[in-house]
Amino acid sequence: MIIPLLGLLLGIFLGLLSPITIPIQYSTYMSIAILAALDSVFGGVRSSLENSFDVEIFISGFFANAVLAAILTYIGDQLGVPIYYAAIFAFGVRLFQNFAIIRRYILTRMKKNNK
Amino acid sequence: MKKGLAVYYLFAIAILLGFFLSIQLKSDITSPGIITISKLIAMENDVENIEVEVNNLKKSIYELKSKLNDYERSLSESGSIYNSMMEEWKRIRNLAGLERITGPGIIITMNDSDKEIGVADNPELYIIHDIDVLEVVNELRAAGAEAISINGERILGTSSIECGGPIIIIDGHRHATPFIIRAIGDPKVLEASILAPDSYIDLLEYTGIQINVRKAEKIVIEGYRAPLKLKYLKSIEEGEKK
Repeated sequence: MIIPLLGLLLGIFLGLLSPITIPIQYSTYMSIAILAALDSVFGGVRSSLENSFDVEIFISGFFANAVLAAILTYIGDQLGVPIYYAAIFAFGVRLFQNFAIIRRYILTRMKKNNK
Repeated sequence: MKKGLAVYYLFAIAILLGFFLSIQLKSDITSPGIITISKLIAMENDVENIEVEVNNLKKSIYELKSKLNDYERSLSESGSIYNSMMEEWKRIRNLAGLERITGPGIIITMNDSDKEIGVADNPELYIIHDIDVLEVVNELRAAGAEAISINGERILGTSSIECGGPIIIIDGHRHATPFIIRAIGDPKVLEASILAPDSYIDLLEYTGIQINVRKAEKIVIEGYRAPLKLKYLKSIEEGEKK
């Protein structure tokens, strides 16, 4: 559990050091990418807790989700309809589900250790 | 073994997540939210206003440039910018109404009624009041008069015409009948609008007030006599860079 957090800190550090900034018209794409990454992290943590972690599913899930979300955002931009809300909604719902499952695993583990 | 592998991938994705997060935060983006139609129209209006402003500024740049050209030309021609500055000074004094000027226009002479006043009549109706003069001046201005004087008193934008009993007071000076109003402008237009049906003079003539309107090719109007004073007014430096 500590290692993903360390990775997060390292990533933040790298981002602060790097000179890259995002132009405002791509900020929605960036936020979608953030959500996709967040979703993948939670999904990965959950599956590793369930001992069902699969590298192919993990990596392909991350990239495919990000690409689909980007396409939705693009189409939404062209149509003037914020379709990327669908991506936000889907990622958000799954985020909370995964978080709930992770929470339950950790709690049951703690209870076992106490006994 | 499998678990160890998962940790590496999680580590990599977490780095990516942190990287994205910090870049997004660093970019200092305030989300515009959804652009609705009304927002779009408001923005369009903003853009239009700014464009108008830009055009105005461009115009003023052009004017200032041509002025600069004038200065430079007179400097190269006569060795000093005295002449062109003098010209501009004259022009500004003309605009302010301080110079003695001449031009075509009309002369209106107003005098009290010489009709016999009946016992039951109201004598108030048979003499000229400050408001009568004021209305005529206003009509002249509406018809495009460029300079107006009453009994030799130049009327400016700040001039006042008040009642002083049997006389009227214009900018603190007393004037009695007959009132001779001189106005410079297009004589035809001025006369036509001053004598039009339902104009103020048309109404005044019912009471027998004597009014004589005369076109003239050359009228001389004196400049404003009293010194102009600015006590409260201050100019605003706008968009000037030093």
